Amino acid sequence: MPVTAERGYLIPAIGNVYVECAQKLSDSIHKWHPNANITILTKEMLPYGDLGGYVNDWQVFAASPYRQTIKLEADMICASPIDHWWTLLEKRDVVISQGARDFYDQPAAARYYRKIFDENNLPDVYNAITYWRLSRTAKEFFNLVQSIFEQWDSYKKILKFPDELPTTDVVYAIAAVIMDPDQVTLPKGLGPTIVHMKRYINPIQTSNWTKELVWENNPFRINTVAQFGLVHYHVKEWVNE
Amino acid sequence: MTTGALIFARNNEEIDYVAMARWSASNIKRHLGIPTHIVTDDAETTNTRYFSDIGNVIWHNLNRMDAYQLSPWDRTLVLDADYVVASNQLQSVLEVDQDFLAHRWAYDVTGNNNFEGLNYFGNNCMPMWWATVMMFRKSNHARLIFESMRMIKDNWTHYRNLYKNTTATYRNDHALSIALGIVNGHTLDHAGIPWKLASLTPEHKLTQTSQDCYRVNFINTENKPRWVELQQDFHAMGKQQLGEIVASNS
Repeated sequence: MPVTAERGYLIPAIGNVYVECAQKLSDSIHKWHPNANITILTKEMLPYGDLGGYVNDWQVFAASPYRQTIKLEADMICASPIDHWWTLLEKRDVVISQGARDFYDQPAAARYYRKIFDENNLPDVYNAITYWRLSRTAKEFFNLVQSIFEQWDSYKKILKFPDELPTTDVVYAIAAVIMDPDQVTLPKGLGPTIVHMKRYINPIQTSNWTKELVWENNPFRINTVAQFGLVHYHVKEWVNE
Repeated sequence: MTTGALIFARNNEEIDYVAMARWSASNIKRHLGIPTHIVTDDAETTNTRYFSDIGNVIWHNLNRMDAYQLSPWDRTLVLDADYVVASNQLQSVLEVDQDFLAHRWAYDVTGNNNFEGLNYFGNNCMPMWWATVMMFRKSNHARLIFESMRMIKDNWTHYRNLYKNTTATYRNDHALSIALGIVNGHTLDHAGIPWKLASLTPEHKLTQTSQDCYRVNFINTENKPRWVELQQDFHAMGKQQLGEIVASNS
């Protein structure tokens, strides 16, 4: 896709639910940054067509109309200004976010969802926030991502506790190891991280935090605690609340 | 700038909190060189002049959130009666350029308990700030914190439900934690006393070995008898044992 702007946010949204989520995320970013460039990448816009599920991810590199892109997962909401990220990220070719936070803004300590990362010494990356600039490094990274998705059966054999189907986080982590994690991540605690609302990351008793906790909009708070940056709400039905 | 300490003390059938506060006031004078006002609703005690060398005694049915109104000083240290001042470490808290400070973390001096359950409250583990030691400066910021604590106490059922508190009993620590959130824009980034609150749980044996030196005998997690010596301030959660120490000093 031809470059139309220097910087912009790209939100992949394959499937109707994700389009709704992506629109909500886009609206929440525009609330803080009315002039932000945002592209919602739908199935029809994929340059190589819909390959099914997570496997489409590597296409974001070719699909982005920006020289510098921050890719965001659709099921998130922007709870505070984030444009300072550009200053933090612009010196690098690729940055995948590392680690996550709970709704108290504390680093997620639970490893319940990250067994495969720990058992295989993979970096604790989250593709939910991924920055790249048009560069050889970024091209190499997404070529690797494509290759790992396509040859998952081979990668699966060398991993402990592999998923039957590859997840984007694991694929990004393997690509990071091949390229050297220092080349595609920032030191832990420095770069942007998501608030992850999955059950075992937060002190909650059920899997649906939207029913258990009190939340408010404008400003976005969970159990009275103001949220910062991007909140990965994870419960897709919440998009219509 | 005037500085002093407030201790809230209410006797019950088992614990003579006023005696504890009086003893603490003498420690405060010795280590920090500031006067103490003891706030109590014990009419008999408050009508005596026993505390005149330490400070006034105010008699009223008052609560911790009244500290802002009650304090005659520009800068005030509010202490629990069972907080033992055994050093001048709080001096630095009185000199810092902040309107309000309290402890975020407490720890067990024996290392037996991890205090996870005590440093958070409610089913969703809201971070807790301890009201055991509070320093405030007369300011809008501090006034709002105490007014918020009052509001929270007056509407405790609502706040208890909101934070899914498992116990119905109102606690100053919980009200303070909620109030700090309200006043600081619903964030959890509050300036705190830059060390943890040393705490001693009631199951351990506390004795005084010399004027500012205490010994804690305890059974460790491997069921072996151990002891530690404290030459620092600490929060004696075992009031009975502290009461005995106070009685032996009077």
